Amino acid sequence: MVFTQQLRGELRKLFARPRTWMGYGAFVVMEAVILAVYKLESSQRHMRGLVERNGLEFSTYYSSLTITFTIMLLSMFLLGSIYFALVAGDIVAKENEDGNLRMVFARPISRLRLLAVKYTAVCLYTFSFVFFVGVSGYAMAVGAVGWEGGLFVMEPKMKVFAAYPDWWEGAGRLALSAVGIGISMITLSSIAFMFSCFKIKPAAATIITLTILFVDMILQGFPFFKPYESYFVTWRMSAWVFLMEQHISWPKIVESYALLIGLNASLFTIGWLAFQTRDFKT
Amino acid sequence: MLEVRGLSKAFGGKPALKDVSFRLEKGEIYGLLGHNGAGKSTSLGIILGMVAPDRGEVEIGGVSVQKHRGRALAKVGAIFEAPAFYDYMSGWENLKILMGYSGGFDAMAAEEVIARVGLEKRIGSKVRTYSHGMRQRLALAQALLPEPELLLLDEPTDGLDPEGIKWFRDFILGLRQEKGMTVLFNSHLLAEVELMCDRVAILREGQRVFEGSVKDFRDELPVYEVELEPWDYVQTWIRQAGGEVLGRGKISLPVAMDPAVAVEGLVKAGVKVRNFAKVRRSLEDVYMEILNGKGSPN
Repeated sequence: MVFTQQLRGELRKLFARPRTWMGYGAFVVMEAVILAVYKLESSQRHMRGLVERNGLEFSTYYSSLTITFTIMLLSMFLLGSIYFALVAGDIVAKENEDGNLRMVFARPISRLRLLAVKYTAVCLYTFSFVFFVGVSGYAMAVGAVGWEGGLFVMEPKMKVFAAYPDWWEGAGRLALSAVGIGISMITLSSIAFMFSCFKIKPAAATIITLTILFVDMILQGFPFFKPYESYFVTWRMSAWVFLMEQHISWPKIVESYALLIGLNASLFTIGWLAFQTRDFKT
Repeated sequence: MLEVRGLSKAFGGKPALKDVSFRLEKGEIYGLLGHNGAGKSTSLGIILGMVAPDRGEVEIGGVSVQKHRGRALAKVGAIFEAPAFYDYMSGWENLKILMGYSGGFDAMAAEEVIARVGLEKRIGSKVRTYSHGMRQRLALAQALLPEPELLLLDEPTDGLDPEGIKWFRDFILGLRQEKGMTVLFNSHLLAEVELMCDRVAILREGQRVFEGSVKDFRDELPVYEVELEPWDYVQTWIRQAGGEVLGRGKISLPVAMDPAVAVEGLVKAGVKVRNFAKVRRSLEDVYMEILNGKGSPN
């Protein structure tokens, strides 16, 4: 009960910031840009070629579901990573920098409880944001091309190709993938959260997180590291794409998510240990 | 109510506190004085469990802050210099969030406290629109909401106008009278300390160099204006008696020495006593003398 009240307070703080709503606005703008690109003649020609080369009917797969999938894939990669790193990197470090933490520390709350509340808020925020992107992206796509049609998925990096002509099946897979993206993105938030617990500036927590992830992703792309790609965090974070496969390989997905959850727990523990041993001056 | 025992703390090898102890009885207002960097804020940080001491312990109501922080701070309120609220939220929302960390928010109790600190008209406004005085009132409200038995005040009147300072002082004195609240008052405003505190401690370079009542504080190192002859002999006599010659015609005597006894001794030694009058000094003079190392550490 008390934890819920504290969590509500933490979420209220997050959503009371103008920056939070600016983030939502930025994502909506990005979705509109992706949608506009999709509507271009050249994009449609490219997609038609892609779909028809695979023996599928373009009119079935040029749909709101396919557009939503692309929106989620691109916006999470381009803007989501920056945004989640920014929010999670701020959640402890910014409060320390602004002096809010000393007001909190005058209260009988343990540091572990405080971090647990903040981490839960970050996870919920990350998860709900992914769903916002999905829902708003779908709503905009419906406005642009109508609600009917199937889902076409092609992700060469993870070697996933699938086509769902039925709307219900496609929508179900898209919803499932949103859950997967949400869990994957929590790892990104966890890295930023851990750095936020250290004695560093909030911007530093964000930058270090993004650096780690981009270096991880770039190294993963080197041919030399191809046999070791499953050791890279960003590869594991991309496991949500497997939820799009015609026949879902659950052991592969469970393995990746078990590793990510273990990593998240480790990152939280390291952050907590650093936070617990710090002195906070009044 | 509050017992601080043998606190020592160093930051990066540089000592900030050296074996500091003091004790506050229930209903007492205790002043902690010292220059910037003397260790006042570090002491407060340790009392609140924000800073881990290298040695020593703090107990609030018999509960160790270092071992059971949550339980020890359950009935503690604190106000800091320039309190940092969530500026983008209203005063009411700030109280709600902060009270969430104290175990729950009681809207009725909050309304009562807000009215008491005189913030009822602006409690719904964003904190960023508050003046410094209003922020301090909000800080007071958040400190009072958990119905504290111990109030920790860290330079609470800094930056307030004289009217604000007086309001704050009267408010705290009223709380003590009404609820028997114990207060630790960390400040460098000597006039405020004199008007509010029952006892004071002075910290210098992390060490407690004085502790006593405000009256003791004034009487520390009593200074006398004198006309005594022969002056050379008088200087030797004063020093032998444990006093100090502060200049031509100005001496101090040990606190324990009755000036009448000193005069009697001087007369017996053949000194001509034409004048021997105690100098009324400001609290600031005494404070500076103690900080400059002339006071007797206790």
